Amino acid sequence: MFVLSFLLRRLLQGALIILLVTFIIFTLLRVVPGDPARLIVGGMAPDEVVVMKAKELGLDRPIPVQFVSYLGDLVTGDLGTSFVRPKSGASLGGSSFDDATREERAKVLDLILATLPMTLQLAAVALALALLVAVPLGTLGGLYPGRWPDKLALAIGSICVSTPNFWLGIVLTLFLSVKLKLLPAIGYRGFSYTILPAIVLAVEIVPFILRTLTVSVAQVMREDFIQLAPIRGLSRSRTIFSHALGNSAIPLINLLGVQLGMLLGGVLVIEFIFDYPGLGLLTINAVLQRDFPLIQGIAIFISVMFVMINVLVDLIAMTIDPRLEY
Amino acid sequence: MTGPILAVSNLSVDLEREGRSRRVVDDVSFALAPGEVLGLVGEAGSGKSVLARALVRAVSTPLEIAAGKVVFEGKDILSLPPRALSAIRGNRIGFIGANPMGSLDPRLPIGQQIVEKLRCVRPGIGRAEARDKVLDLLARVRIPSPGARFHEAPFQFSGGMMQRVMIVDALVSDPSLVIADNITQPLDVTVAAQIIRLIDGLRQSLDTAFLFISSSLPVVAQIAERTLVMQRGRIVEEGRTAEIAARPRQSYTRALISRIPSIWKDVTAPAAREGEAVLTVDNVMRSYLVRRRGSFNAYNEVKAVRDVSFTVKAGENFGIVGESGCGKSTLTRLLAWLEQPDGGRIAFLGKDLSHLSARSLTEMRRSFQLLLQDPYGSLPSGMPLQRMIEEPLLIHGVGRAEAAKRAQEAMAEVGLDMELADRLPVGLSAGQRQRINIARALVLKPRLLILDETLSALDQVEQAELLDLFNRLQATHGFSYVFISHDLALVRRMCHRIAVMYLGRIVELADNSTLFEQPHHPYTRALLSAMPTLEDNRFPRPRYLLDGEPPSPIDLPLGCSFRSRCPRAQGDCEKTDPPLLALAGGNYAACLHRHEAPHEEEAVHVE
Repeated sequence: MFVLSFLLRRLLQGALIILLVTFIIFTLLRVVPGDPARLIVGGMAPDEVVVMKAKELGLDRPIPVQFVSYLGDLVTGDLGTSFVRPKSGASLGGSSFDDATREERAKVLDLILATLPMTLQLAAVALALALLVAVPLGTLGGLYPGRWPDKLALAIGSICVSTPNFWLGIVLTLFLSVKLKLLPAIGYRGFSYTILPAIVLAVEIVPFILRTLTVSVAQVMREDFIQLAPIRGLSRSRTIFSHALGNSAIPLINLLGVQLGMLLGGVLVIEFIFDYPGLGLLTINAVLQRDFPLIQGIAIFISVMFVMINVLVDLIAMTIDPRLEY
Repeated sequence: MTGPILAVSNLSVDLEREGRSRRVVDDVSFALAPGEVLGLVGEAGSGKSVLARALVRAVSTPLEIAAGKVVFEGKDILSLPPRALSAIRGNRIGFIGANPMGSLDPRLPIGQQIVEKLRCVRPGIGRAEARDKVLDLLARVRIPSPGARFHEAPFQFSGGMMQRVMIVDALVSDPSLVIADNITQPLDVTVAAQIIRLIDGLRQSLDTAFLFISSSLPVVAQIAERTLVMQRGRIVEEGRTAEIAARPRQSYTRALISRIPSIWKDVTAPAAREGEAVLTVDNVMRSYLVRRRGSFNAYNEVKAVRDVSFTVKAGENFGIVGESGCGKSTLTRLLAWLEQPDGGRIAFLGKDLSHLSARSLTEMRRSFQLLLQDPYGSLPSGMPLQRMIEEPLLIHGVGRAEAAKRAQEAMAEVGLDMELADRLPVGLSAGQRQRINIARALVLKPRLLILDETLSALDQVEQAELLDLFNRLQATHGFSYVFISHDLALVRRMCHRIAVMYLGRIVELADNSTLFEQPHHPYTRALLSAMPTLEDNRFPRPRYLLDGEPPSPIDLPLGCSFRSRCPRAQGDCEKTDPPLLALAGGNYAACLHRHEAPHEEEAVHVE
């Protein structure tokens, strides 16, 4: 019962957020310079063709009208069709307007759903790698503040946070794939192609997890109920595993929610460097081609994911700590 | 076994800091017989809590046990191997601390945590057996509906109920010794009295010895047969509690006892005085909407302040007392006009505050100032003292030079050294910090100071000094004070008239001597009976002390809201919510079956 009302409230709030995001993205895209109709038909097309194309796509209507009709499509799950991408996947942005090989243009939702699994896989591997390193180290750092695990956690965190990701990507490619030929680097033809970009992403996330966990574990260890636990007769391992970790997990889970959202939407540079065919690469190309429906679709899709992840994170946090039920 | 259960000899604990060591427990020796309750009193900082922890070898850096023996049931705890120690700690020796709300994992059900503890110290006990045992004890410490509360987490308990839970936690393994470190300190008087009565009952049936530690001799005197007095880490006096209270031998003990304020014996109550009305409160109401747990948009109305009326006269000390949750804090916020009442009227110097324009309200605010409880949180830590005191003047548009002059005058008046003027408040004592707060209020030349538990964070000596300062300021400036406090002794000493609040209402409003000597409302009598005193309590506990805790302000009983706990409640209390009735001498009480004043009772007989 409680969970239901919580979900209802949060999803309504989420819907409002998504509506706002949609409106902002939609408006921004239409006030920036660059005529998509011109882009679609190509630089050589006569003006009448451009006007005709604009009419066909509904681009000649006032922006509010366009927005309302876009929203109408949106609620039926239709994110529109790409301006430039044909169904086969190749980009035709620059080709001639009367090219006979042009196919029907691709659905935005299909484009997103095709690349999403790739990005999900990358995000999951990166997150798993980061947690694998940062959770034990961060916990130890929090248990022994000021001693060597704490210092090690701080050192590793500092190094990771100050390593530029594009540089690390290039260096890792150079050593691990070019010199040692251990891992493939560019493109995607199997799971092993995920590992290098995931390492680079993990290095980016590790310092946040380390810092959050060290601080929250150290803080929880100073709480009265932890200090009293040995006097009450609990063993140290029991105190740490069943009480300290549970209480320090809340800040970490909140952080992971944000990080996961970033991973889904914001790994542009990494996917670009490794030419990894995920959502990030799709976004970059869409921006370069002024593919309005695609950019909009991705932005809305990511904001939906963000909202969902946050609701999920709050649900998990509530299960761990019932005080958070408000 | 006839020997002592616990024998401490020459125990010393050092505090090591920056290469220097200071002795915080110094050569302490005492013994505790099976089933005995031994009291340990001493001021804050005398080393009581460190001693308590040293007894179970739970001190950690920078503290270090320097010397001594703690022989418990024939074994020296200080030299046991870790495994043997863990067989004793939490098992044979229970421990209850001063912070019940923070003593268990806030996320998990209390029952589960106590079962976990029991099975940790007694691996032989099965889950079901442990559960039954915990449920049985929860019932024995009189927690209502233990079966349901077993599954609730600490945040769902009040402080008093949580302390009962911690008593269960300590007793669940049938220990032969329980160390109770300041366990009543955070609790309201009636709840603290209930806890002491409960422990007294339990130990008679359980045959458990208690080391009962408190900073208050009257509290210890309620339960301990023998008492140790501790000063700066040393035991300075030891003997039968009654003997120590009546005939202290050491000067320290005498000083400790002399600082206990007297409530009835040789007290001259400040007599009510006449004067123009400074603050008038008429039928003030305030409620809050709180979303109901687990609902989409259903709200509960918490009636925090209900129909409160009183007047504070010029030069008067007006007291407002009551226990946690009675609406004191909300009323404070209303009086300081930080919040506005939903109904009723608050007038200052005859002007209704809700009718003032923003500008004249700001002007008016100079005349009533609020002093808060927490001397640490209420000062900006990065501002020099004098600047801090100038700030209110600058806000009200006084020039810099003039502000500096008046700030310095105020500092002198409240007894702050001028050398402190350019210092930051780092390292100042709680008392000095409250002096800064007083100076900040003083520079505005107010008419009324609202003191919200202003003195409760201070020790007895600092408290006495500040009370003298308040009296002096009143004599020179003609201030009125509103004391909002849970400390009845303070109110007894300072206030001319006192209002007693219960669940958002004033249940009795009377002059000092009537309220303390001949109160009409049963709740007032219950509060007085719960006060720990060395003198004979005029309102003996068996007759007047309340059971249970106040009902939730969301779900008030119909009729009189005190009826669910009232020893005098009768049928008509369910139907009528008694209004605050005027009695002789300008006093008021809200009760249908109030205690009559003796002369009134006599008068009835004569007729």
